[in-house]
This record gives sequence, structure tokens and C-alpha cells, in this order.
Amino acid sequence: MNGGAIAAVSLRRDFKGGIEAVRDIDLSVSAGEIFGFLGPNGAGKTTTVRMLCTLLPPTAGTASVAGLDVVRDGAEIRRRIGVALQEIGLDPVQTGRELLELQCGLYGITGQRARSRTEELLELVGLADAADRRTKTYSGGMKRRLDLASALVHSPTVLFLDEPTTGLDPASRLTVWEEVRRINAGGATVFLTTQYLEEADKLCDRVAIIDDGLIVAEGTPEQLKAEMGHDVVSVSLEGADPEETAFALAGLPGLQRVVAEPDALAFYVDDGAGSIPEIVRLLDREGIRVGALTVSRPTLDDVFLKATGRRLEEEGQERELEEAAAR
Amino acid sequence: MTEVLLLGRRAVREVVRYPEATIPTLFIPLFFLAVNIGQVSKTFPSSTTPFLNGQGYVAFQLPVSLMFAVATATSGLALVTEIDNGYFDKLLVAPIRRSSLIFGRLTADLVRGIAASAFVLVAGIALGARIQSGVAGALVIVLLSALFGVAYAGFGILIALRTRNVQATNTSFLLFFPLLFLTPNFVPFDRLSPLMETLARINPVSYVIVGLRSLVIDGWDAGKIGAAVLVIAAMGTVLTALSLRAIATYDR
Repeated sequence: MNGGAIAAVSLRRDFKGGIEAVRDIDLSVSAGEIFGFLGPNGAGKTTTVRMLCTLLPPTAGTASVAGLDVVRDGAEIRRRIGVALQEIGLDPVQTGRELLELQCGLYGITGQRARSRTEELLELVGLADAADRRTKTYSGGMKRRLDLASALVHSPTVLFLDEPTTGLDPASRLTVWEEVRRINAGGATVFLTTQYLEEADKLCDRVAIIDDGLIVAEGTPEQLKAEMGHDVVSVSLEGADPEETAFALAGLPGLQRVVAEPDALAFYVDDGAGSIPEIVRLLDREGIRVGALTVSRPTLDDVFLKATGRRLEEEGQERELEEAAAR
Repeated sequence: MTEVLLLGRRAVREVVRYPEATIPTLFIPLFFLAVNIGQVSKTFPSSTTPFLNGQGYVAFQLPVSLMFAVATATSGLALVTEIDNGYFDKLLVAPIRRSSLIFGRLTADLVRGIAASAFVLVAGIALGARIQSGVAGALVIVLLSALFGVAYAGFGILIALRTRNVQATNTSFLLFFPLLFLTPNFVPFDRLSPLMETLARINPVSYVIVGLRSLVIDGWDAGKIGAAVLVIAAMGTVLTALSLRAIATYDR
């Protein structure tokens, strides 16, 4: 095993019924990094986190956290890591303060030290006023923040956050981001999973994209975007025929490929801004009237699309809509 | 040890803060006590019923109600709820022995068992039962009942860990009914039909009832009390050992 904060070699987890949740992935996270593990629902993010946190044994392969083997040295790893899982693990019967003091006790911090550490963390996550209310009365954002605080009682060297902002409103999301940055600035390595590209882009030093149990891309957000080597010109159709439009622009210089989107076509070209006059000319020649033309630099979403053939944002949004409808 | 106490204190707090979960478990034993006495006491008048040793039928029924009061699925339910809401994972990822999670729950079962059996015992005394073995005997009754509750809690915990299913854990309590009724719960062994007597003599719970009953009706009977202690210890050891194994192999 290397000396990085997290390393995995051919890490694999199968479940009953022939489900291959994580398929022989390699990971390497350096100490002090914020590492983003990006992927849609069911891609294998949570299973990977559970294996790295010693909650689930790998079916095959090896992994180390803080230089310790996840299978052999589970107890020692648990002393050094902080974990906030996707399912917010809070006891609804306890108050925020009681929960944190208990959490301190489980990490061997007791008495006055536990009380002052609890106070400090409540202040840190902005829950001092709600400290003596039972956690079942907390909002989603407050629960997330308390869960985060409870992962920090022992100042872990590696912090695992499984979708720390899923289901949060934008303001709470920003608060969590700030928190993650502050924790990282204090020296902790952060391994966070997310299905939000913006989160990975804004927060993470490096990103790995996982899809269907496989890592399909890895690097800094900038590297990944640069590797795309293209801009995207989105043509919103507003009634124009997609096939005619695609045909009309087939000869566009520097065109790499065309992707159909809802009521729009995305043209992947070497130089987005430079190709606009030619697009306008070609459409005009064929008498095709379209809505807007938008040029965008590659995003992580494009990286995801290139790697998997699907867009991540749509899946995320659909899921959020479903969740909102379910509520 | 510290972690067991911390987790135990939290579990007790849970009991105190959820009275709606405890009240039904106290209502049932009192209900059965009142109903059974009402229905049977004329059949067994104290003056002509030797096995009552001069007491009212309430003295004979009291141990059965004590069993009802302490045999609950509360711990199992609390555990499966915790598994369901994710807090259990949070505890598993803390640097504690997994066994502490079981022993923490059982600590709370002991505390709850003492409170519940003391409550039912006082109710029984208010209804006219006299404890022949005196105050010390009453304390032994409360302690043995509570320990039986601790032993029985292993059932719920085991089912919670094995099934991770709230319904299954909830209905685990029903397993207790046959165990409680295939006993000399209404009359002594020798008044049961031959088949019922055989089944009751096989059922270990019978000896717990007989032991507790001897403390109420007869005074100190080392043999009967010893048998009750033995059954409680054996049942507690087996169910706790199975629970410990279930938690040690949970997701392993």
C-alpha cells in the first residue's frame, strides 16, 4: 500500500443476485486532498465508501485508509476517520447536544473535554441555538450539519462524506461547502461523493467519475475538461426539424459530433465562438429558423456524457423531482 | 465498559422520552391480572384452594403478569429502527466494540425491567397479594423478573439484526404467547391435563413462573428459586451469545 490517504487496488464488491456494485476499481487519494467521487444513483459510490469506512468487506481487491488495511486494521481505521453517510444517521430522541456528547464519548472524549468540544462544534455548524432540541425537530439542513459535526468530534485525518448536500437547498449547500473547505484547510483529507457536477467542480481538487461500478474518468476538473478538447454550441430548435438542422450543419468545420437533447442539438466543435458565423450562414442557406445559439466551454457534465453516453444533471434533476413529489 | 454505560444511558433516555412505547407494555400485564382474577377467583376461593396457601388468586397470577411486563420487543424495535434510519451505521463506524451495542441495550432492559416489575408488583400488592418471602423476597422477585426481561430481549435483538425488518421484530413479541401459556399459568402442574402438563414441564418459562410464585406464596424455596435462576441464566446466555454473533457478523 502506498503512503497516500486512500488507496484502492482492484477493489470489488458483489452482492447477492449477481449484482456487481463495484468492479475492480483503483483509487489513489493524497493526504490533504478534497477528492470527489462523482456518479449517478446506483453507480457504486456508496458501496465504495462503505468499503473504505470498514462497514462492508470487499469481495476482492485491497484498500487502505491512512496507510491501514480496511480488512485487517478496521478498528485502527475507525479511530482515524470521520464519516457522514448518505442516510443521515441521527438518533431522533436525543438533542443535538446529547448526540454530540455521546459521539465524543464513543471516541474516548469524556467529561469537560466532551462538553467543550460539543460546544465548539455546535458553534461551528451554527446549531448552538438548537442544541437542546431533539433532532427530530431539525430541518434537513440542520440534520446534515449536525451529522457533519458528529463526524468531526475526534478531528479525523480522513473524512468521508457520502452525498453531503443531496436534498439540501442552495443556501445550506453553500454552508456545507464552506465547512468542507474549512475542515480540509485544517489538514483533513476529504473523500466526498456527489451527483452534483457543480459541487465536484467547485469543491474538489481531483475527481473520479464512476458509472455502473467502473471508474470512467479521473483527474482534476480542469484536466478532465481540457481533455474534452472541444466547445459545445447548443442550437435550440423551437420547432425546427432536428434531422434537417443536423444535416444542414454536417459540413461545419471542426465538427466532432452532434448530440440530440430535448428540443435542442449540441454540436461539439473545436472552436465554439469561431463557428457561429458559419452556423448562421449554413442555416440561413437552408432556410431553417432556430431559437437561440449558445456557446459553452466543456463542463464536467460533458466529461460525464463523453465517458458514459448520458448526462448526469438530468438524472439528478429527475431524482430530485421524484423525491419532491414523494414528499 | 464506558461505552456500554454511555449507550445504556442513551437507551434509557429513549425509554423515558417515549412513554407511549412503554405504557402499552404495562397496560397488558395489569389488564390480564385484573381479567384473570375477575374470571377465576370464584372458582379458586382462597379458603378451599390448597395451592393458594391461604392467599387470593391474585398472588397466584402475579408472576404471570410480571413476565408479561418484562418480556417486550422494545430493545429489538429500537435497534431495528436505528438500523432503518442509519444511526446504527454511525455507531458501527465508531471505534467501539460491537458487543457494546448489545450490552448497552441490555443495560437499558435491566433498568426498564426493574421499573416495570416493581410497578406490577406494587399493583399486585394493592390488589391483595402478600409476599410470603418478605421485603427481601420482593426485591428478588423484581430482580429476577428484570433479568428474565434482559434474557428475553435477546429474542428481539436477534430478530432485528437477522431480519433488519421492523414488522418481523414487532411480531417477535408474539412468540412469547405460546411460551407463556404452555405453563402452569392458571393452575399448578398437577392440575393440568397430561398433555398440557408434559408441554408445560418441557417449557423452561414454567420454572421461572414457578420460582417467582414460590416467593409470593410459599416463602423461600431454594429448589424452585434455583431452577428459575438457572433457566434465566441459560436463556440469557444463549440468546445474548446468538445476538453477539449476529452483530459480529453483521455485513461481514
